Amino acid sequence: MYALVAAGLALMLGVARLINFAHGEFFMLGAYVFWFGYSELGLPYPVAALLAPAVMVAFGIAYQRTVIRAILPRSWHVQLIATLATSIVLTNLAIIVLGTQPKEVPTALSSRILDVGGLRVAWQRLLVLAASLAIFWALHRFVGRTRTGRAMRAMSQNCEACAVVGVDVQWTAMVTFALSAALAAIAAALVSPLFNIFPDMGTTLTLKAFAAVVAGGFGYVNGAIAASFLIGLTEALAGSYVSYAYKDAIAFVIMIAVLLWRPQGLLGRRIGI
Amino acid sequence: MRLALTLATLLLIAVSAGAQAPPPIRIGFASAMSGPAAITGEGVRWGATLAVEEINAKGGVMGRKLEAFFADNKAQPGEAVSAVRKLVDVDQVDVIIGQTHSGACLGAMPVVKELGVPMVIEACSHPQIRALSGKGGNEWTFRVALDDEIMAYTFARYMARQGVKSSSILAMNNDFGRGAANAYDAAFKKANVKLLSTEFFDPGQPDYRPVLTRLKRANPETILAVILASDGAPFMRQFRELGLTQRVFSRGSLGSAEFLYQVRDNPKIGDGVIEASYWITGLDPEWDKKWTERYKVPPRIHGSLAAITLKWAVVPALEIALKKHGKADRQTIRTALEEVDVKDSPLGPIKFDANHQAWINMILIEIRDDQLHILEKLSTSPALLN
Amino acid sequence: MRRAIWLVLGVAVLAAPWLVPAVVPRQQRYVLHVLIFTALFAALALSYDLVVGHVGSLSLAHPAFFGVGAYTAAILATQARWSFLTDVLAAGLAAAVVAALVGVPLFRLAEHAFAMGTLGLALVASVVANNWVQVTRGPLCITGIPKPALGPLPVTTLPAFYWLALGALVAVMLLYQGLTTFRLGRAFHAVRDNEPLAAAAGIDPLKYRLLAFTIAAGLAGAVGALYVYYLSVMCPEEMTVGLTVNLLVIVFLGGVGSLRGVLVGAVLFTALPEVLRLAPTWRLVIYGGLLLLVVIRSPGGIESLLRRASR
Repeated sequence: MYALVAAGLALMLGVARLINFAHGEFFMLGAYVFWFGYSELGLPYPVAALLAPAVMVAFGIAYQRTVIRAILPRSWHVQLIATLATSIVLTNLAIIVLGTQPKEVPTALSSRILDVGGLRVAWQRLLVLAASLAIFWALHRFVGRTRTGRAMRAMSQNCEACAVVGVDVQWTAMVTFALSAALAAIAAALVSPLFNIFPDMGTTLTLKAFAAVVAGGFGYVNGAIAASFLIGLTEALAGSYVSYAYKDAIAFVIMIAVLLWRPQGLLGRRIGI
Repeated sequence: MRLALTLATLLLIAVSAGAQAPPPIRIGFASAMSGPAAITGEGVRWGATLAVEEINAKGGVMGRKLEAFFADNKAQPGEAVSAVRKLVDVDQVDVIIGQTHSGACLGAMPVVKELGVPMVIEACSHPQIRALSGKGGNEWTFRVALDDEIMAYTFARYMARQGVKSSSILAMNNDFGRGAANAYDAAFKKANVKLLSTEFFDPGQPDYRPVLTRLKRANPETILAVILASDGAPFMRQFRELGLTQRVFSRGSLGSAEFLYQVRDNPKIGDGVIEASYWITGLDPEWDKKWTERYKVPPRIHGSLAAITLKWAVVPALEIALKKHGKADRQTIRTALEEVDVKDSPLGPIKFDANHQAWINMILIEIRDDQLHILEKLSTSPALLN
Repeated sequence: MRRAIWLVLGVAVLAAPWLVPAVVPRQQRYVLHVLIFTALFAALALSYDLVVGHVGSLSLAHPAFFGVGAYTAAILATQARWSFLTDVLAAGLAAAVVAALVGVPLFRLAEHAFAMGTLGLALVASVVANNWVQVTRGPLCITGIPKPALGPLPVTTLPAFYWLALGALVAVMLLYQGLTTFRLGRAFHAVRDNEPLAAAAGIDPLKYRLLAFTIAAGLAGAVGALYVYYLSVMCPEEMTVGLTVNLLVIVFLGGVGSLRGVLVGAVLFTALPEVLRLAPTWRLVIYGGLLLLVVIRSPGGIESLLRRASR
């Protein structure tokens, strides 16, 4: 789950050179859209699960055209603070509009358990894993094969040159955002049946996703994914065997450790300034 | 001439009638209105509003209407200080009901003493509050709710009576959870129940599988969970998912209508859980009905506690103050609170002892067949702590 | 004319404990309480601005230093019964030492990584404060911190505390001015504005950044100590990452790198919401929105607006 969210974040960072602190809110809003579709409108699970990214794509584009366009040319200090501010606004608006009570979205799969020789897992978790892998594969092909994908890679390497070469920067940026938002929303739709939905859920997630992105090498999607898996695994293992209470700190300890040992991240090559 | 006299008389009557309308008694409510615990503050606000409306609809307290004021303590002691000062200095309240969270309670206590305003605590569960109140040094603080020490000793003894030999504690990592964990640690020792392990988790976080794995490994006979309904739902789901079979004893709001609502897709998830509490829906069916009609969700614990505190502790004190002294200012309300002796509130008897603690009943609730059943109502008293 | 205004303002601020009861007689204690918080926050924000505004490093670790100072003072006051002044000093020192230790590796990182690293530090500190129960008592909080005493003089009343906080603020202001002018200030600004050039001119960026970082942390720790003495209670919730958000709002709304700007920001941010008394969640929405607007439209904050107005 971390991986999907982190991938979206890494995309934005790498391609658009943007630090988006409001990313967790994409996740949170996606979860609420999913809840709305599934619980309130009574849509079947796959439809509601696709509704979330659809709405969030629109939201992502709107966000990009308003806030991001304004802060893109500015220093990254400004970007960080502006997106942080957006995150605060979104989270608290959610509290006001949607209320503080957590929502639950149990689905058919989240209650049924698969029992394989002593290892018990809810079917929903397998869905999360399978869907994640499928999405990553699709993403990989998209970035590698299609024109837009190649444009995105070009932008991440050298923004001035790609304009010369004929890459439509605005369009590519928009697509990147849309994709980023969609990834977060899909993650939300997949994971919500297992957990609760509440307005604050985006905050910790943003921070951990950032930890993964940084540890994986700024902007390298594969790095971010790898780091996310590393963090997720270590959290679970440490939580089980070492100390459950300190679990939250683990993501950041890993990030700090990686930064100190390899300042460019696990898979990154150079650090930009 | 006659006309002028009549008019003058009428005017005089009108003015004196207006002047005679007594000012409302101002009640301050402090709780966590924002931040991660905002859901408790929302409950308090709803409960307080409903209760004040109810009382005013019946004509108020001996003809005096009540007016409610709210302040946000963000569940932090620093903010609790600000909240108390705001209620006292800006809103000029005569009595405060709050602060819901132990950290906030502890922060607020010195300030209510400094300012001389009585505060009736509706939910904080830190045992130190009892030690510090009344003859413990702070004459201005009173508490209706039971604290963790009282509940732990009562519950542990009950568990021992049921033949339980060992347990592990799983508690929220906040003031409520930590305080409870400490209390149960001592109580289990006294009741001869072996404590195998203690685990803490952050409220709101969704993944219990690591901690459940640890619990599985410690292999206790029972689990004592200090957990709220909103966390309890994913917890119990994952508990069943991993196939654990321990009996779950809970102290929080696991055994509640809220929990049942959250697991309504698969109600069997909660079967067998036994919860120790002092409040449950069903203690006051009329109140439950009014709440559900108004707010469209099952009654919330903090809101209902605030309302009960108002109706069965503060209002009787107001009545005593008005009857005996003809006024209801802060000092008279304080002395009146010490004289309150209510036998039949929904929570049980409300009478403040030397430490300003009311020894209300403890209720054991069992979830069975998708419903809450009251197993036992236990009365409490200081003798329990020996 | 300008001088006269400043003089009047200064006198008013000093005489607040007498003025306030005259102006708002029934709310005086509450207003004084808000003013105390404002003074402490302003001092904290100034210390933060040293790092963000004058050396140009976006550190997100300030809550950690505030927390270290606060807990050090709390523990020393309740366990070791040290006197107030030594406590404050110890708190500041502890925070500064921590900053020096983590600063050395952190400052070797590039800007993005540095920000993330400091963020990680703040989060880890928060988790430790919450869980290292043997030392910090975690969520059960450290209670019973006694009232401060300056030598033989006890500080128990609100006005006394107000002057103590005011004194601390003035001290921080003087330090801030001293550090950001003269040669040291110019060195800081050189590192902030053009690092390669500064390095070429013989100014070691690492050394100066670390210096600012450590001093700022020490100040934050001292403010933390004052804070716990005022409240008599210290809980982990007081040092969460949210504190960084508040500081960012103050510094950027007020005007990064300017004394007057940060002060104005602190007053607006701490005092105004009490006056407005908006619903708490709406208040946060408004702050977020304001921050967004300011940062996009007028990155100099209110300070730049003030400068423009005085032309």
